[in-house]
Amino acid sequence: MTLDTTLLAETPEGIAILLRPAGAVPRVLAYGLDLFIRLVVWSVAAALLGGINGVGVGVMLIVLFALEWVYPIAFELLPGAATPGKRILGLQVMMDTGLPITPSAAVTRNLLRVADFAPVAYAFGLLAMLLRSDFKRLGDIVAGTLVVHADKVRLAGALPQAEPLAPRVPLTRAQQVAILHLAGRARRLTAERIDELAALAENALPPANYAPGGASPAPIRPGPRLIAVAQWLMGQR
Amino acid sequence: MTPRQFEARYEPSWVELERGLTALDSGKGADKKPRKLKAGEFPTDSTPPPGAARVAQLYRQCCEHLALARERAYPPHLVDRLEALTARAHQRIYRRHDFGLGALRDLVLYDAPAAVRALRWHLLVATLVFALPILVVGVATWLDPHFVLTIVSAEDVRRYDGMYGPEAGEHLGRTSGDDWHMFGFYIMNNVGLSFQSYAAGLILGVGSLFMAAYNGLNFGALAGFLVSRGDSERFFSFVVTHSAFELTALVLSAAAGLKLGHAVLAPGRLTRTQALMRAARETSPVVFCFFTMLIIAAALEAFWSSAGWIAPGVKYAVGGGCWALVFAYLGLQGRGGDAR
Repeated sequence: MTLDTTLLAETPEGIAILLRPAGAVPRVLAYGLDLFIRLVVWSVAAALLGGINGVGVGVMLIVLFALEWVYPIAFELLPGAATPGKRILGLQVMMDTGLPITPSAAVTRNLLRVADFAPVAYAFGLLAMLLRSDFKRLGDIVAGTLVVHADKVRLAGALPQAEPLAPRVPLTRAQQVAILHLAGRARRLTAERIDELAALAENALPPANYAPGGASPAPIRPGPRLIAVAQWLMGQR
Repeated sequence: MTPRQFEARYEPSWVELERGLTALDSGKGADKKPRKLKAGEFPTDSTPPPGAARVAQLYRQCCEHLALARERAYPPHLVDRLEALTARAHQRIYRRHDFGLGALRDLVLYDAPAAVRALRWHLLVATLVFALPILVVGVATWLDPHFVLTIVSAEDVRRYDGMYGPEAGEHLGRTSGDDWHMFGFYIMNNVGLSFQSYAAGLILGVGSLFMAAYNGLNFGALAGFLVSRGDSERFFSFVVTHSAFELTALVLSAAAGLKLGHAVLAPGRLTRTQALMRAARETSPVVFCFFTMLIIAAALEAFWSSAGWIAPGVKYAVGGGCWALVFAYLGLQGRGGDAR
């Protein structure tokens, strides 16, 4: 069992794309923002058209209809695939296969907001989101769509520069991965924290006062030694 | 191959793919003639971005690199970069290219009526649930006009009386206002109601049945009451034209909602979710169909049906034509082999 709320979608090319479904909180916030935007548009339209009798009222009602039904569908079919509220929060709608959303799926998921709304204040939709690990509301389940965080989380960056050092013992694949991951996070952590974590791998790291020439210089702290081993694993010799 | 060698060897193709995607996104790059880079040549700002065919080739290459990088447990920044690049190219390459008229034409000419015909049993149930209350309540109200008060409030009855009674005047079937006002109102109200009737089908179909029966009761009570008052000509000449579209759309939305409920209740050999997704796919042309019908109905109701100066005979003729048209479209259009 994993704690991560990520999904893998496989492409026809046989590679897996990692999707990060968005949970209830960002989606409720996005809905709030959209509601605000719609209210603003609606009040502007009402102020402009309210004075005109007949045609004005008719157009006002059509605007109300469009804000309720057309607004989400149209924005989700544009490039970017998100309503303005979702865009602000960095969310995006896509098919759960990782493909861009299709028109019929956009229509279905937005029409079924009615079912999500029942019995009151989107209770069914929220319940479905809270019960599922992919945070789909009823409309998403039926349309086969997914609301995801558009931008990726990057924990590890490029490795810091260092002279390479060979590990003390041959490393298994899992050990190599752990060392590369920790070294990739070196720029985000303090030197003390890196030392603390690298000390856990002391058995794999070269001795503190080891130097390639055989001389015995001042001892090096575990952090820089781990980064040096990571550089060695990267292929620097 | 070490990660460093891997990166040094293949980075030019990743940069080339990135530039190709950026060029495709901005719609530029078509003017310059793209050329294949020499082995090991690093793309710069002056080299023209690759064309679409080359982008597809680079994308497949990049997928291969990602698979290799993952398999060999290369450092995370390298894998992340390849993941981001392939995900971006994947979205770009598999994007729909035609919002065009071809799909819309197929939908109108074949898919929508075929999808409606595929729902025949659900349509039958929805029609019965809608029509039986009309008949029963209609006859009951016609025999005893007081019966209307068990279904409709006295205030509404008074309003209907004003709309269709002798004092209705030039504008039939409405309390006040102008054609455009009512057009907006009908779109808002009717389309919203039928969307609700469709989506409420998700609750085991009960929601759609309720909406159909509720509308049937109201309509039956209204019709029976007005006939018993002797306003039948004004009333029927008002409803005959737009009801061809509006009542059909109402039944269609209830039938499509029933189909959703049916999928939840009896998913057959699929899981409930899969059955539901399939039902939604199958009914989405029907949704398009009843949506369009309701727009037509709103326009007719606002601009044609309410016009008191048109003789009832003309309205009956046009209305009959509309009913025939709707049935012919739903029943016959797109039959007889796939002409696509």
